[in-house]
Amino acid sequence: MTDPGYLELIHAEIDGELDARQRAELSRRLLADPAARSLRDDFQRLCKALDAVAEVEPPPQLRESILAALPPLPVRRAWYAPLQRWRYAAMVAGVVAAGALIYETVRGPMPATSEVVGTIALAPAAILVDAVQLANGPVSGRVSLYRDRAMLALRFEVKASPATGVQITSAGRTLRVDHIGQDRPPGTALTVALPGIAMRGQSVQVTFRAGDRTVGTATLRAPGGP
Amino acid sequence: MRRCQDGDREAFGQLIARYQKPVFNAALRLLRNPEDARDVAQTTFLKAFEHLASYEPRFKFYSWIYRIAVNEALDALGAKKPVEEISGEEQDEAPGPERRVESEQMSRAIEDALMRIKPEFRAVMVLRHFMHLSYQDMSDILLIPEKTVKSRLYTARQLLRDDLARQGAF
Repeated sequence: MTDPGYLELIHAEIDGELDARQRAELSRRLLADPAARSLRDDFQRLCKALDAVAEVEPPPQLRESILAALPPLPVRRAWYAPLQRWRYAAMVAGVVAAGALIYETVRGPMPATSEVVGTIALAPAAILVDAVQLANGPVSGRVSLYRDRAMLALRFEVKASPATGVQITSAGRTLRVDHIGQDRPPGTALTVALPGIAMRGQSVQVTFRAGDRTVGTATLRAPGGP
Repeated sequence: MRRCQDGDREAFGQLIARYQKPVFNAALRLLRNPEDARDVAQTTFLKAFEHLASYEPRFKFYSWIYRIAVNEALDALGAKKPVEEISGEEQDEAPGPERRVESEQMSRAIEDALMRIKPEFRAVMVLRHFMHLSYQDMSDILLIPEKTVKSRLYTARQLLRDDLARQGAF
């Protein structure tokens, strides 16, 4: 019976996996054992014959038949969805910021209005400037105010019913986030940009509303400035 | 790949053109029957198209498509009547040296012998000797450790060598 140790060496030699020490070991064993030499010859012959089996051409219409059978599905790229989300988030943030700049330039100081704001992804370098913990109630969790590059952003890590919206007020401006509890798994955060709001030490009033009813409030302080 | 993942059929057609031969040949060596191999090749590409969203480009595309092909072929084998397999323990009647086959007949003898070993052994033989893949690629495709790949490959060669010897091909 051939010992498994050198059977492995014979196979590894065929597969080109031997190092110098193993090659020397195999040579020594082959010299000493005619049965091992015969076995090695058999395996080498077998593998040579295997490698010589000719490839077969696929049927001529295979490609066309596959293409004809493809389902009419739009294919989405799950693997780069996170990347896309970052791109969209950056795009949304850019559009919001540009819109706010144009808005402020054209509008100037005016009475309070209400705008619907989009969500963004918070940049890793964003700085936490204030946070409020909400007690258990219709809305519970944490609301945090961040400085994200040249603007402020509010991050909501809250539990709320799908019908709950948020009104954000500061310095006579009002922004609105609809359905803060919608379409997000529990424990996930939602972040909104606050373009042009409260950059100089003013407060940011956050009001959670379910229809006409106020179901929670939080007040956050923006950083002071020169 | 990105164009394929966006649903571009022309780009997918190019992928088919590039991989249809190895996929068809892998299926053929596993199944033997060209019609079955054609079906498996077609199913492989259709499944690949449907699941392009789950393909991650950091992995090798050929590993992914070969994995689908091998699984499809093994499934097709499972659905068919099992062939009589050899385990290395049976002793067939030993033919004399006059039955030694020549090189052009060796391929046929090998194909016959391959069909007599278990599908998991056949799969490693096909991937190694017909697809010329590394242990690592085989491990990725079959989702088994490299150590198991080697063990199966060595056993498969032994079984094949013994079978061919019994058939007089050696």
